[in-house]
Amino acid sequence: MATLTVALVVGAVLFGIGLYGALSQTNLVMIMMGVELMLGAAMVNLVAFWRFLHPEVYAGQMFVLIVMTVMALEMTVGFGIATGRFRAKGSVEMEEAQDLKG
Amino acid sequence: MGAFGLAAAWFGVVVFRTSSMVRSALALLFSMAAIGGMFLAMEAEFLGVLQLMMMATEMAIMAIFMVMYMMDPGGLSGMDMTHQKRASLAAGALGALGALAVAVLADWGPIEARVPAATAQVRELGIEIMERSMLIFETAGVTILTAMIAATAIAIQSRRR
Repeated sequence: MATLTVALVVGAVLFGIGLYGALSQTNLVMIMMGVELMLGAAMVNLVAFWRFLHPEVYAGQMFVLIVMTVMALEMTVGFGIATGRFRAKGSVEMEEAQDLKG
Repeated sequence: MGAFGLAAAWFGVVVFRTSSMVRSALALLFSMAAIGGMFLAMEAEFLGVLQLMMMATEMAIMAIFMVMYMMDPGGLSGMDMTHQKRASLAAGALGALGALAVAVLADWGPIEARVPAATAQVRELGIEIMERSMLIFETAGVTILTAMIAATAIAIQSRRR
């Protein structure tokens, strides 16, 4: 039981750090780093569930592949938005992005 | 596994504590590498190697973008790039505590002591991808293509104007 708990505790701590980063940072790239950490935490949990609870069911590993895809997609679209924003306003600071509302 | 977990959490904290963006990107790279190490320690060899390879590339690209777009990538002027610190800290702590409570208090059932060998794992994962989860896998591929087109369209929009 201890090893599963260790993995889940690491996942929980990483999720907390990522959530703090995503909410507290004003820069788009740093916000994306917070989201990456949260997705990393999800992957740790998924691998731990596969390894310690159901190693014969490979849907767990498949789920990790999908989360990795989501990480790559988040970076692609995030940097696309960052590039567009930087060209338009010369900054990727989200405090200055109030004009995106509505 | 515990050592890799500690390293992942420590470098995760360093990401938001350092004022240099390059150090921040490197810290995230080390955190993700430590997560890859955890996968290897949990005998998920394929995913561990994939995580290490993918994150090394991803974080290298991220570091380039950070230096390009940040006002102070070296962190020399000591700019504060945070807001709503207390609320964020509270939300992060609450999220972590909630997940910790579930991790510690839930009854997860019996623990499996053994896993299939690495070669058998890769074979079974391949069969999973090509049979039961094929639609999901194909959907992921199409979504990547869509995201690439969308990101390119967003990035070149201002030039057309």
